[in-house]
Amino acid sequence: KIFHLGACRVSMSMTEIRAGFSAIKANIQSRDPLRSLSILSHPHSLHKVKVGDRCCITHHLFTFYVDKVFKHCRTEDSFVNRKISSIANSFLSARRKLGQCREQNNCVCGEESTEKFKQILANYEGLNVTSAAMKSLGELDILLDWMEKAR
Amino acid sequence: SGELYCSLPNPRNVRFESVNMKNVLHWSAPEGTGDGVLYKVKYAVYGVGKWIRKPECRNINRTWCDLSSETSDYEEQYYASVKAFLNGTCSDWMETTRFNPLTDTKIDPPMVSVSSTDKSISIILTAPEKWKRSPEEESVSLLQVYPGLQYNVSVLNKKTKKRWFFSISNNTLVVPWLEPGTVYCVSAQIHVTTPLLDSGFSKEHCIATLKDK
Repeated sequence: KIFHLGACRVSMSMTEIRAGFSAIKANIQSRDPLRSLSILSHPHSLHKVKVGDRCCITHHLFTFYVDKVFKHCRTEDSFVNRKISSIANSFLSARRKLGQCREQNNCVCGEESTEKFKQILANYEGLNVTSAAMKSLGELDILLDWMEKAR
Repeated sequence: SGELYCSLPNPRNVRFESVNMKNVLHWSAPEGTGDGVLYKVKYAVYGVGKWIRKPECRNINRTWCDLSSETSDYEEQYYASVKAFLNGTCSDWMETTRFNPLTDTKIDPPMVSVSSTDKSISIILTAPEKWKRSPEEESVSLLQVYPGLQYNVSVLNKKTKKRWFFSISNNTLVVPWLEPGTVYCVSAQIHVTTPLLDSGFSKEHCIATLKDK
């Protein structure tokens, strides 16, 4: 699937990522008992991000998941771990593609997306690393839903 | 909160059952309890700190509660919880897993209408609508919710039993070069690639091509 993000376009194997996440969703989300806190969607929903800011915040989020989430989500279940690394590889290649385009096209980081990403990092840093990473991984469908909704 | 000492067995299998985003909470009665058990229900938006009681599902004896209205924003995700009461005692609150209306709903088959000429049949497909609070409310087709929605269409020649499959994105299909005076049966399914959602196939709609002029 190809996503148009401002001047940039990035293709991602959404069907595989979705299938991988569906297979581990119940397992991952059951490790996150904190119902009243969301990393990605509160206090401000991703869906409120302006179209012009999508390129920047998507690159930020890919970097966030690659650098701060996937590597801290090892579990005792090898099936779950395999699915996580498969999703991580998809994000790694998408980030590389988006990063290249971003440099060429200077995909602008508006004030709103900068603020939104600061909020995401603050939510993440409010928990210990493993809990924050597991919660973020459990919210992957929030990111995928947002990306696909505004394709 | 003035709750009684809760020694009643818990409600079981608390989960959302959702079709076209009509989101209904279901559960099974606590083990070993006969009639007379009453329930109350609450729900929460994921990421927001408070539980919200559902007044219409307070002290009910049925084992379901329609939360479609409360969970209609499919950009959010939800939890719901049920507590049982019997003879002055109660159970614990029993929660669902996290519910994502967008990915956790089931989709009904499309509506199919067919017409024919002597050598072709025309098929028009209509995707179901998202649940809405009242008939006056504006309808939202699931096509708007799932931009990647496609249709898988099966066409069967009743005489030869030969079957064709088509996968289309728009909602009309004309099947040409057919035999005059022959019955063809059409059935269709909705297929969303991502998130992966498939409806069942619709019941068959059969039509005869006109006889040769």
